[in-house]
Amino acid sequence: MPDDRGSPDLAHGVPPVAVSSTSTRVNLTGSWKYIRPVYQDKVAPCNQGCPVGIDIEGYMNLLREDRIEDAIGLLLRENALPAVTGRVCYHPCENACNRAWLDDAVSIHGVERMLGDLAIEQRILPEPETPRPETVGIVGSGPAGLSCAYHLARLGYTVTVYEAEAEPGGILRYGIPEYRLPKDVLAHEVNRIRALGVDFRCGVQVGRDLPLNVLESHDAVFVATGARRGRALGIEGEDLPGVRAGLDFLREVNRGGRPALGHRVVVVGGGNTAMDCARTALRLGAEVLVLYRRGREGMPAHDEEVEDALREGVRFEFLAAPVRVESTERVPDREPLEAIEATFDRFEGEPPAPHVAGLTCTRMRLEEPDRSGRPRPVPVEGSEFFVAADLVLTALGEDPDFDFLPEDVERASGVVRVNALNATGHGALFAGGDITDEPHTVAFALGSGKRAAVGIDRYLRFRAGEIGDGADLSELRQGPKGNISVTRWVGGDPVRRTDPVNRVVTFQETNPAHFAPVARAADRHLPPGERRLGFREANLGLEREQALAEARRCFNCGVCNECELCLVFCPDLAISRSAGGGYEIAYEYCKGCGVCATECPRGAITMTREGL
Amino acid sequence: MKKVMVGNHAVSWGVKLARAEVIAAYPITPQTQIVEELAEMTADGRLAARFIKVESEHSAMAACIGAAATGVRAFTATSSQGLLLMHELLHWAGLGRLPIVMADINRAVAPGWSIWTDQNDTLAQRDTGWVQLYCETNQEVLDTTVQGFKLAETVDLPVMIVLDAFFLSHTSEPVDVPDQAEVDAFLPRREARLKLDVHDPHAFGALTTPAVYMELRLRQQEAFDRAREAFAAVDREWAERFGRGYGALESYRTEDAEIVLVTSGTITSTTRHVVNERRARGERIGLVKVKMFRPFPTGPLRDALSHVPAVAVLDRNISPGHGGIFAEEIRAALYDLPPGRRPRIDGYVVGLGGRDVTPAVIEDCLERTRRSQAEAAAAAANGGAEREIAREDIWVGVKP
Repeated sequence: MPDDRGSPDLAHGVPPVAVSSTSTRVNLTGSWKYIRPVYQDKVAPCNQGCPVGIDIEGYMNLLREDRIEDAIGLLLRENALPAVTGRVCYHPCENACNRAWLDDAVSIHGVERMLGDLAIEQRILPEPETPRPETVGIVGSGPAGLSCAYHLARLGYTVTVYEAEAEPGGILRYGIPEYRLPKDVLAHEVNRIRALGVDFRCGVQVGRDLPLNVLESHDAVFVATGARRGRALGIEGEDLPGVRAGLDFLREVNRGGRPALGHRVVVVGGGNTAMDCARTALRLGAEVLVLYRRGREGMPAHDEEVEDALREGVRFEFLAAPVRVESTERVPDREPLEAIEATFDRFEGEPPAPHVAGLTCTRMRLEEPDRSGRPRPVPVEGSEFFVAADLVLTALGEDPDFDFLPEDVERASGVVRVNALNATGHGALFAGGDITDEPHTVAFALGSGKRAAVGIDRYLRFRAGEIGDGADLSELRQGPKGNISVTRWVGGDPVRRTDPVNRVVTFQETNPAHFAPVARAADRHLPPGERRLGFREANLGLEREQALAEARRCFNCGVCNECELCLVFCPDLAISRSAGGGYEIAYEYCKGCGVCATECPRGAITMTREGL
Repeated sequence: MKKVMVGNHAVSWGVKLARAEVIAAYPITPQTQIVEELAEMTADGRLAARFIKVESEHSAMAACIGAAATGVRAFTATSSQGLLLMHELLHWAGLGRLPIVMADINRAVAPGWSIWTDQNDTLAQRDTGWVQLYCETNQEVLDTTVQGFKLAETVDLPVMIVLDAFFLSHTSEPVDVPDQAEVDAFLPRREARLKLDVHDPHAFGALTTPAVYMELRLRQQEAFDRAREAFAAVDREWAERFGRGYGALESYRTEDAEIVLVTSGTITSTTRHVVNERRARGERIGLVKVKMFRPFPTGPLRDALSHVPAVAVLDRNISPGHGGIFAEEIRAALYDLPPGRRPRIDGYVVGLGGRDVTPAVIEDCLERTRRSQAEAAAAAANGGAEREIAREDIWVGVKP
């Protein structure tokens, strides 16, 4: 500030412009600020949205740097079966993806599948930790059991898995059809777990072939026997031989059986199992009709499954429910509905002698929502009609079966009660998957198995006097609501994190101006006509280059990936590259304008109050 | 080397020859071609400059201010609404004494939305502390652009090069492009007297108390006073080197003139045509072209117009509630001439919003002044009092 107090310049008059007479070095711009930017890595919404607790953002970041092997390594830290989940998980991560607000969510499942397949192709085997003296028994080798076994083996434990069926995999092996999950993909991933030293004892059912007390030889036990009990129709005639539980039917086909179906198969139900049944029956040569008591929008099946079923030629009859199974001996005299009859017109040839003639059904209408929040279907009086069928498959949901567990294991609403790390409270007994209160999906099962592995590790280490009981679980989660991260439990994150905070980044915190819209890569598919001819995989995923391009679409929400924009935009040139990676801020010059935090494309900079 | 080019590109070539180091601009019709050409010149290496894309004219001027404050040669171009948006920063450049050169394409101000020419955009910036130089031809545009940098850096004032929308900006004419080496000799690299220096940081433009603010204004005023002679020197040197000079003012066939038309911008060319025709018929008609509007060429105007009985000022602008702006200023500049040497001054408002100012319009103005002059002469001959001066400017070529 020019002034008239003792400046030598002013002895000869005022300078031509308003310029301070003394140096401003004493008043650096940093002294102006009352808020300051700090680099603070946060959690991407996909990470929190993943029921498995995968560091999705982390491997996308590594892929962006072309560190494909490191990306696979990071994925395998959290997910025992990436090639499986890349195919069959309904990717809630993508529903959480911030990019969806700009154009479309990143095809996370496509990237995961590519990495999972690459891990198989390159026979990548994660290194186990130092061996531990304890052994763990696992009952059931479905996704929960496999996940628990994998993580425990990696943590150094000796693991034995008991499986009732001839091969490991549970629902993955015997429930999900080949065209969605090829058996060899599963086998490769199971072999990876075997290679970690896990002992699979197949063909033994605990409580039947093996006494329960065999488990007492283990230091801890994880039970994940799944939901195998199909719900009954509860109508007259359902005991007829032509009525089968859908899971049963799928199990037979997945064992290699090719049951004679007759020509007309009716599937009752609207969930994913119903879709699996319908599409499997279609591939065995039947004409398939799905009966569902609500409308299309009320179906619990995943959209992609329904779309695929429709594309392949499955017919749907909505707002319809069976009231009676009609045997061949008692064909009803009612006129069949024309529309339904037309469904089967194209059939030619001689059917095997069927046991059932079909279903007498009733029309439904939807009333006020029930407790689940979905409209409640009620029968329309006098609306009965007949649907011809040679085989009826029921897929009304499945209930867990854990009768073999000791009676003092706490149960509630038909499931085993567990705590946040899946301990039952009954000694060293842990439980997970569909016998606990989890959504019945592969990803949630994998997540519960992983959680139990951390729970068992913590339990055994605590019992061995190695750790206290003070570990804060919230810090282990991928975001406040996310699943447990093994990386956070074990440490050694391969991704550099600056001052991480366990908070999820919203779209509003990103800066979409720095991202050009780029179309999401669509999965490649076998043409529907070809799919009906057999059990070849229907969804072919992404090409590797497509998947890598998808990784470049990732915002890397919340995590600094050294894009340089903060450095470029800082009007005070107060940001510079840090020797150890990342950036540092010269706070004596940073005036707290917040431009860096605003420009940061991914919300990795937080403005904080200056200490007062 | 002669090239055929539009007025906009004449600006671009002038900037290239002047070796501007920072160009920051935001596009606006009819200016955009200037910076498009400069962007290409910068991109392909013909011009070693930093081209800064910005999100508004306000930012464009801010970038130029920052650049010029560090001692480099900065340029921008704009028009109409863009210039109005810059208004605050024009003062910063002006009182900051930063020798930025800007081309403004004279374009009428909205509403109604217009892209056609008049001078209200630049004249609205009259008091922002910028030199204003108005051009008549594309050759003059190129020459004035280069001259502008030299003038700006001589007196530490920003300079606005002004040209008419479309009549110059988008009209092609042959233009002589001087050799780079000769321009370099005319305009060496800028040597800033006072600039931002990270090794000796000072605050620029900070709080200035009543004890010194007025002196800063006086320094600015003194610089504008010097700018008159500085421009004459720059123009003289240019004429010596390149054979073309323009002057702050140009008197054209004003010897023994009874009526002198005063114009600026492209109306001048049409007026030259009218003057030539009248002279061919023996009528004593002349023309004065005003090139420099700030600083106002008071002295040259008094020299050019005293002894002329009647003056008709053509204004392609309007100060609502008063009249044509050139006419106002010329009346004020000539007011204190002794009565015998003070011309009668008629003001005409013409050509707003790009309306054509044809020879017929100019002749209409001329005939009106001739009639009013005859009436005044008759009144004087009858011993009547000198006519009252306070009369309103007349709008010509306009529907009632």
